[in-house]
Amino acid sequence: MNNTILQNGQISRNGFQGISEEEIAAAGHCLESALAGGAAQARVTVSKNILDSIQLLNGEIDKVSRNADRALSIHLFVDGRYGTYSTNRFSFDSIDEFILKAISRTRMLTPDKCRHLPSPELYARNAVSGRELGLYDRHYECISPEDRVKAAMAGTVYGSDRISSRHTLISEECEYSDSVDDCYIIDSQGFTGRHTETSFSFWSEITIQDRNGDRYSGYWWSSAPAYDRLMIYGCSETALSRAEAQVGATGHSGGKFTMVVDSTCSSRLAAPLLNALYGSAIQQRNSFLDGTLNRKIFPDELTVRDMAWSKGETGSRLFDPEGIATRETDIIRNGTVEMYFINTYFSDKLGMPATVNGPSRPVILPFNRYTAGNGLDYKENGINLQAILESAGNGILVTGFNGGNCNSTTGNFSYGIEGFAFRDGKITHPVREMLITGNMVSLWQSIMAAGSDAREGARWQIPSLAFGDVDFTGE
Amino acid sequence: MNQQPFFDIFRTGKQEMEKVIAAGLSAGGDWCDLYFEYSVYNDLMLRDGEVNSGGYHEDFGVGIRVLDGERTGYAYSESTELKDMIAAAKAASAISADRVKSVTNISPDISGKEDSRRGRAAGGRVPSDRSLDLYPVSETWDKTDHSRFLPVLERIDSAVRSKDSRIVKVIIRLSDYQSYIMMYNSLGELTVDSRPMCSMTVSAIFSYKGKTENSTASWSHRCGADMVSDDLADRLAEEVVAGIDAKFDARRPKGGEMPIVMAAGASGILLHEAMGHAFEADFNRKGQSIFSGRTGRKICGSGISIVDDGTIPGNRGAGNYDDEGVPGQKTYMVRNGILESYLHDRISASFYGVSPTGNGRRESFRFNPIPRMRATYMEAGDAAPEDIIASVRHGLYVTEFSNGQVRIGEGDFTFYVRSGFLIEDGRLTAPVKDINVIGNGPEALAKITAVGNDLKIDNGTWTCGKEQNVPVSLGIPTVLVSSLTAGGE
Repeated sequence: MNNTILQNGQISRNGFQGISEEEIAAAGHCLESALAGGAAQARVTVSKNILDSIQLLNGEIDKVSRNADRALSIHLFVDGRYGTYSTNRFSFDSIDEFILKAISRTRMLTPDKCRHLPSPELYARNAVSGRELGLYDRHYECISPEDRVKAAMAGTVYGSDRISSRHTLISEECEYSDSVDDCYIIDSQGFTGRHTETSFSFWSEITIQDRNGDRYSGYWWSSAPAYDRLMIYGCSETALSRAEAQVGATGHSGGKFTMVVDSTCSSRLAAPLLNALYGSAIQQRNSFLDGTLNRKIFPDELTVRDMAWSKGETGSRLFDPEGIATRETDIIRNGTVEMYFINTYFSDKLGMPATVNGPSRPVILPFNRYTAGNGLDYKENGINLQAILESAGNGILVTGFNGGNCNSTTGNFSYGIEGFAFRDGKITHPVREMLITGNMVSLWQSIMAAGSDAREGARWQIPSLAFGDVDFTGE
Repeated sequence: MNQQPFFDIFRTGKQEMEKVIAAGLSAGGDWCDLYFEYSVYNDLMLRDGEVNSGGYHEDFGVGIRVLDGERTGYAYSESTELKDMIAAAKAASAISADRVKSVTNISPDISGKEDSRRGRAAGGRVPSDRSLDLYPVSETWDKTDHSRFLPVLERIDSAVRSKDSRIVKVIIRLSDYQSYIMMYNSLGELTVDSRPMCSMTVSAIFSYKGKTENSTASWSHRCGADMVSDDLADRLAEEVVAGIDAKFDARRPKGGEMPIVMAAGASGILLHEAMGHAFEADFNRKGQSIFSGRTGRKICGSGISIVDDGTIPGNRGAGNYDDEGVPGQKTYMVRNGILESYLHDRISASFYGVSPTGNGRRESFRFNPIPRMRATYMEAGDAAPEDIIASVRHGLYVTEFSNGQVRIGEGDFTFYVRSGFLIEDGRLTAPVKDINVIGNGPEALAKITAVGNDLKIDNGTWTCGKEQNVPVSLGIPTVLVSSLTAGGE
């Protein structure tokens, strides 16, 4: 094994495992081959992912896996036509054969004048090394298989004296994993961009059984782009406490209640909102936010900001899949829809300026309408779940969703939920088999509070939220 | 099936595969298998009246699994050069390289009498007394000229638009793939399979008097290109506009507990979510399922039999073999109300001391196989569907679904109803839409009080997402569940 020395003196056992010079050369060859074969324009993306994981079942190693993926993706613009192709065979001979077939296939399609590469002035110019955003942790190169086993074992509590429970522990499953993702894009207009990030994660799921024989599961996790920010200890303990908290869950009568959604699952409600802003949905009239651009739809307090350039924070990126530079900008500002996510194609289709293909690191800024406090800076004022519960008084705290959907055209939704009833800001009892039903626009118009407690390591920074008068169906 | 073309595709042979197996077992595992895959995917999309995007994607590699008892080591290589396969096999062998001492077992006896039957050698030889050919094709998808499908997509677009003036947008997707699979294991068993798949989805947006609605129709089969016909085009066009008047009129019902009549076909999502997942043996082996330790027990009415079937010709969930080389089978999970069998892969079959049921499936060579459903359905009963509806005073009749979910331990499941009708005094009345239904698996099974004589398998593009995505299908006759909770206003 060729050990190399890092600048800080650590031994790099593995070296850099991202995209190699040979793979970059393959991308270049792919681009040349496409242009030589008749493509007017082309974009080539090399993506590579290495993921190692150790999974434990009841304190013993249950599964060891190593995933090593790489792919060449090619976007071809030929005679006014457009097609997308991918392969994981990187030899020059294979690429030449593949490109010939791809060009032939593209010529089969109907021309579409809206298909072309982006305007060059929109390109990101500062994504050269892939590490500009500080998302690559060189400690990754030092991790040995033994280190992974140790990390996984450090998190398990099965059979240890770190936990005690009134209930029978049926099983504990947990997993440590680390990965490197490397992406390199070139196109025929001269764009070159690279994004490299590491990721470390640990999750635990514990199933218990109460004296009636009923089973309950709890789940908790930590993830981070840097090893020293990973919080392995405590995950299993939290998973157990979340399982225990559900013991004795009962039906609850339906009605209109204040709904508080904790930050472990609140992104489930943010997703339909952000999805409705995509150009593809707008152009196909398949969005309940069609026609809302620059209109005030939501309360003054609601601001969703895309913090795409947050150094060292998961989700940050300098360019989108077309190479277009991301921006730090408000998606929704003081209740007004400020942007749609418009790529080059839908820019032409809709006659609107291109923005980016989607949100990078959306953040809901904290506020509390119950206490009339607003305009606070992100994370500079603590509004945690307990503060929201106390402000809201009585209602249902949602800690997880079970199925359900949102109609992308109308915004009508219905979801199964799990959680707790609360009174005077204090949790009273767990509830089960309940549903919420409503319309996504009306729901977000009724938002009362957003916390400053979004989960570390999440790409979408969606905190605990409170909504007024939500329709719950129960027993 | 002739094996030589598979050796050619993967540029390997038995001698090399034996070397890889030896590398996988070099640290002491007791089972090793290799899963070679070469898949070619094609897609075409019609948007705004033109087939103006499409693509072609290929994936190639080999997954190597080492079992040490019930523990799994897994790695894969995107190259089938011997050195690369051996490197992956060595990585997978790590599962045996450093055994971890058992901690004190504080688990209760959760598996009941089944536990006493464990002890078969891991992944024992599976008898194969038949050779299935569930999806014969005259021309594989990787050899098909896809330009022939452009007129079919355009025909659907024209047909859909001609049927309803309220249509403002239509998107049609045709996707297909051909997977060449070769499996080899440490018993020296070699299995090959060539698997086709074709899926078509038609989505339409309707606008009328300021209201917008959507509708989707889909179809999927393991079949060749000859199935993509004008007949199919016309059927999907008809299906996507059917019921749109009701959607414009539909309202949310008042929510609460009520009887629900599940229409024949897609309502099989009830079986998939409420029962099927809980019957998957990995959850039971770990004691996590609400059905753990209940085989041989009566769990519902004696008129109910629930099957998971991998042998329906051309079905989306069909397989001549599963992804562990086990022949496709039809498995009774529940027969006449008795829980008869879980759904097993080789690991769980070894644990329980039974034969694998052919449910070891995986998304691709990048994943290790785990117990998964195939085509899950309930056998027909003897009630007339109209009598079942007539027996309900106030409830719901549900016909169209989008997705579902289940919590394995608790057994709580949900499924999302895109459309249906209120039942009032035994008659279908007002249309309803966009409601979630929630219940508990064992309780819902016990509350099935009528089973229709009209079993129907739904051939939509169902995909199950338990850790990995695999194609499945489902079906059910008209069924009455005496009480479930439906969302509403």
